[in-house]
Amino acid sequence: MSNDHPLLSIRSITRRFGGLVAVDGVSFDVRPGEIFGLIGPNGAGKTTLFNVITGLIPPSSGELTFADVAITRRAPFRIARRGIGRTFQNIRLFSDLSALENVQIAQHIHERSSTLAQVLGLPSARRDDRRTRARAMELLELVGLAGRASEIAGNFAYGDQRRLEIARALALEPQLLLLDEPAAGMNSSEKHELSAFIRQLRDQFDLTVLLIEHHVPLVMGLCDRIAVLEFGKLIALGDPASVRNDPAVIQAYLGDE
Amino acid sequence: MSDFFNTYGSLIVFMVLNALLALSLYLPLMAGQLSLASPGFFALGGYIAAIMSTKVFHVEAGAYPLGYVLIEMLLAALASGVLALIVGIPSLRLRGIYLALATIAFIEIVRVLSLTLEITGGAVGIFGIPQPFGTPLGYLWLALPLLIVAALAIWRLERVRVGRAFNAIRADELAAGAMGINTTYHKVLAFTLGAILAGIVGVVYAHVLNTWNARQGTFEAGVAYLTYVLIGGSRTVVGPIVGGLALTALPEVLRSLGGESLPTWLNNFLNSGQSIIYGTLIVLSTTFFPQGLITPRLLRFWRRTRASNDQ
Ligand SMILES: Nc1ncnc2c1ncn2[C@@H]1O[C@H](COP(=O)(O)OP(=O)(O)O)[C@@H](O)[C@H]1O
Ligand SMILES: [Mg+2]
Repeated sequence: MSNDHPLLSIRSITRRFGGLVAVDGVSFDVRPGEIFGLIGPNGAGKTTLFNVITGLIPPSSGELTFADVAITRRAPFRIARRGIGRTFQNIRLFSDLSALENVQIAQHIHERSSTLAQVLGLPSARRDDRRTRARAMELLELVGLAGRASEIAGNFAYGDQRRLEIARALALEPQLLLLDEPAAGMNSSEKHELSAFIRQLRDQFDLTVLLIEHHVPLVMGLCDRIAVLEFGKLIALGDPASVRNDPAVIQAYLGDE
Repeated sequence: MSDFFNTYGSLIVFMVLNALLALSLYLPLMAGQLSLASPGFFALGGYIAAIMSTKVFHVEAGAYPLGYVLIEMLLAALASGVLALIVGIPSLRLRGIYLALATIAFIEIVRVLSLTLEITGGAVGIFGIPQPFGTPLGYLWLALPLLIVAALAIWRLERVRVGRAFNAIRADELAAGAMGINTTYHKVLAFTLGAILAGIVGVVYAHVLNTWNARQGTFEAGVAYLTYVLIGGSRTVVGPIVGGLALTALPEVLRSLGGESLPTWLNNFLNSGQSIIYGTLIVLSTTFFPQGLITPRLLRFWRRTRASNDQ
């Protein structure tokens, strides 16, 4: 894949809720390896667009292509297995399960042994289990939660839950990672760390990242390209410098910063 | 000792069988699906046993061969499994209370069919189901291995991929889908496994009771199994087993508490106040023990104390 060949292609996506047009004819491409920012005021339709991409809600119209395959209206689990992992704005961990189990669950699509072999505890299944457990521990280590693997996820502090969600999404071994406001509730030094961490993830896992973020300096410093939504419409698209100087953006969004 | 077993033989067998029925409800609940369909599959299994043993296999004298019972169990498992797929695939699109209502409709349909069809003996039912064992207690040879195998299989299942997928769906179905879990497949699987177990138990029950009719496997029975699970505990395989064993024994224990020295009203209550006592227990346990009496936390605590005692 050449570098300007899109990994994710969003074509005229519209999503209505009754009379409300939450996403209105949005089109843009996300290229492999880039960190792509999606910004816009509250209620602009950013999360709705994430939900459409991951199949949690169908679009009213429009097409989605991921790695040259049409994924429009596919079931969420099929889209996840094709290589799109995500986190949620309003954290959706499996809150009564342990941190380790949360990560292992997302990893189960990479287990090869049959259910019968696993129930009987056959050697092939035990090997599989050891491998996924070790991999899950590595991911917990990566987000700094290795020491708390057996703690119940729901008891974690807010910031730790956000990091656990990232580890869980990575367990899918995705090509594209969607992060919905990962810096919400963090102070500025934590935001700084997160920024560096997202870059590290991109390099270490060959990821493409699509991220929603409110905090403009973070987005400007981190992202290769940025799309701006307002009332469901795409009003600007480009590199940080051009978006920052775009009159429509200043009017709509940056003006009140 | 042998007196005890003769007096309480059938009670002990019913305790074990009811623990199995509680597990049949626990299975779909593992994947977050509240289904009351178990009695329908239980009734189906019972009719398969009744029809096979009285109309198909002709045994003139002596004990009914155990091999035939095993064949009936296999047939009941197959029939319940197929029926569960037919019922489960459309109804598991429904959530929460709607799934529960759909499963109640299902047991009503099974009941009405068994009242009207000729092969099920209409309102009278089927009599004279032959006995493979000389005493009620003999049925433990079937019921106990069944309970052990079912409990071990579920216990293992909870610790591997499929069980984790069930847990994930119970915790957050939408997030589970976004993590690559085929939620429909797993919900149907959990429902079908529960149905197969209920069907098999129906076979054993029909032989124990010696007769089978449309009063078996009603909505009330489903509520009783649900009580076993809710009071015993819905978060670990041990809970429904303890609930099924204890709550089946409870009415007998209460009856034996009664006697000459007690006032009549109290004796009456101890003999027939069952639904009041069950109801009170449900209210108390869901208020004070929302996860039931046996919780994962309690089991972890036991394991740790035992481990430290061993040292
Ligand atoms: N499931 C839903 N049903 C009805 N309206 C919704 C739903 N989800 C989002 N909306 C509406 O769509 C608009 C966009 O919401 P959202 O995508 O969450 O915005 P953002 O993430 O940009 O803040 C909002 O007006 C919101 O109220
Ligand atoms: Mg949002």
